[in-house]
Order: sequence, then structure tokens, then C-alpha cells
Amino acid sequence: MTAPRTTEPFSRLEPWEVFRQEKDGDPMVHGGSVMAPDAELALHYAREMYGRRGESIRLWVVRRADVIVLEDPDLLQPPLDRSFKKPGGYVMREKLSVARARAGAPKRTATDR
Amino acid sequence: MTTTRVGLTGALASEALEPLTKLLRAMADDELILGYWDSEWTGIAPILEEDVAMSSLAQDEIGHARAYLGLLADLVDGDADALAYDRDVDELRHCRLLDHPRADWAATIARRFLYDEADAVRLAALAGSSYRPLAELVAKIRREEVYHRLHADAWLRRLAGSPGEARARLEAAWTALLPDAATVFTSLSGEETLVEAGVIGAPMAELEERWRAAIRPTCRELGLAVPGPATDPGRGRDDHGPAVAWLWNEATIVRRLDPEAEW
Repeated sequence: MTAPRTTEPFSRLEPWEVFRQEKDGDPMVHGGSVMAPDAELALHYAREMYGRRGESIRLWVVRRADVIVLEDPDLLQPPLDRSFKKPGGYVMREKLSVARARAGAPKRTATDR
Repeated sequence: MTTTRVGLTGALASEALEPLTKLLRAMADDELILGYWDSEWTGIAPILEEDVAMSSLAQDEIGHARAYLGLLADLVDGDADALAYDRDVDELRHCRLLDHPRADWAATIARRFLYDEADAVRLAALAGSSYRPLAELVAKIRREEVYHRLHADAWLRRLAGSPGEARARLEAAWTALLPDAATVFTSLSGEETLVEAGVIGAPMAELEERWRAAIRPTCRELGLAVPGPATDPGRGRDDHGPAVAWLWNEATIVRRLDPEAEW
């Protein structure tokens, strides 16, 4: 989508979402948003708001209008009980210790990892 | 050439010492005054994001001034804060381009473009300086100036390309600033010694030509006049006028309350 060209730059300000990464290997996390008339200034403002103190090694800037949104409760909040789809429905600890005992393996501790 | 040990790491031809202090003073005052002018946008820039951006740029420039004054303090055995603030306005050595008041947004952007491009040429000529502390500092400052130039260029193109009030204001600002644009390259007394000692890569007159060549394509593309020589080069870094006198009073008002105060 291209914003219509007008003679007044700030008549077409729009929101841009900014994602930032703190160090290599970290996930990109949502930092916040900036208002800007185009991608170039959005990047400048993202840099000022979310990177000028050396707190980011990478920024992603996305026009909010380009984000594909899903917020339909019928799809995201089913009315029936679906708790069995949660990992909490499977209690693994007991089964794991029984299996370990059967195999003769010692209980793993945090220091083994 | 006799050599003087200076500071912790700098070896310098002794006859280059005096002109080097003039160069550092000129560069520090350029950054200091530009920083103070642009900091006036804090709270009133066109939009919030730009307010943060311009305030951050202004802080950067004052930080550069502080760094240059730190080098100067090593050379003259002084204190950076005292060298910066305990002065009368007549002792400031910034260029006349920075004597113009902040004025409107177009004037701020026009000046930032003209100055930042000139500063970039000056910094490039100092990147290989034989005075190592300066070369090391310039390497860091050039990295920060990359963003400053992108910001100024982005705005200059938007104002120049927006017919109507934006373009008209930019043209008015350009006309007002142009006669003083080249004063960034006002020759310093003894600068030939600096060139000979390898402190700076070329004389100011040559840097001015490099700057003109660097900005000519952008000026042509945007339909803006290419700056000519300074109309009054003899007063390039002196005799600053009422706007800067007002600014300097504002900038030093707290310091003058109690120069001995610990912060």
C-alpha cells in the first residue's frame, strides 16, 4: 500500500510498530510505536526512541497498516473446555521418574545440563 | 622539527601547538553553539518524535564540543567546563553560519545540512591526523555524524519537494544562510603548520572546495543555489552579533550563578 502523496508531509502521519533486539540470539520484541509520514523517517524516529542509548543491536519497523491482525474471539477464545490442549494436561514428572528408574539412570539435576 | 610530548599519547611538533588549539577551539565552539541553537526545539518541534530526534542531535553536538574541549584542556592544562563557559561572547570562535538565530524549522534544517556536510569534510581531513588523540576522537564522532547527515538530508528533501509554504520557507532560509555557509572553512592563523605537521589533511580553502563539490549534486537536484565563497571571510569566526549574545547569556546563566558549584 502506498500512502497518497500530498503537499503537506504531516497530513499523512501514520503509526509504525517498532521491534528491537537487545543482543545477538535474543528474540525481536515489540518496543512500541512511532508516528511518521514514511518509512525513512519512521526508521529515524525508531532509532531515536528505541536505540539512541545503545540498548538495541537491531530494529524492525513495520507500518501498522501492514500488520495482519487476528482478534476474532470465536477463533482465539473457544467457548468449550479445551484445557486438554494445554501442556499442563500432561503430567510428565511421575512417568519420567518411573522410566528413569526402570532404565537405571540417575535423576538428572540442574548441573547436568 | 622539535617534538613536544603532549597529554598522555600525543606527540606534536611544538610549532603546531598554537594552531592546534585554534582548530580545537573552532570545532568545539561550532558544535557547542549549534547544539544550543538546536536544543531550543525541545518541546516545540513539529511532532513529538521529531522533538526527541532534534533534542538528541543537539545533545550529541554538545557532547562533541565537550570531547574537543577535553583535548584542548590537555593541551593548555585547563578544565573543559571552564574553557567552555567562563567566557564572554566575544571569545567564542564558532563560524558565522551559526550566528543566525534558530528561526523556523526550514532554517534549522537548511543550516544542519550546510553545516553537517561541511563538518563531514573537515572530519574526513582529520581522520588520519598525526595528532593521535584527535584522530581517535574523530573516528568516533564520524560514526555518530552518519545519522546526523541522514536526518538532515531526509528533511531537506522533504521541504524542498513540498510545494507551497515548506518550499518557500526553505528558499528564504537558504537565501539568508548562504552568504555565511562557507565560514565553516574560515582559515585559521598558522594552519599551514598544521598541514605540514600532518595534523589536518589539507588547508581550509581546499576543504571548502571539497565541500562544495560534495553538496553540488544535492543542491542541483533540489533546485537550491550552490553556496559561493563567504561574503565576509575576514570576520568568519569573530564579531558574533546580538542573536548569539542572547543565546550565550541563556547557555551560561546557571554556570554564572556559582562557577565553583559541584554538580
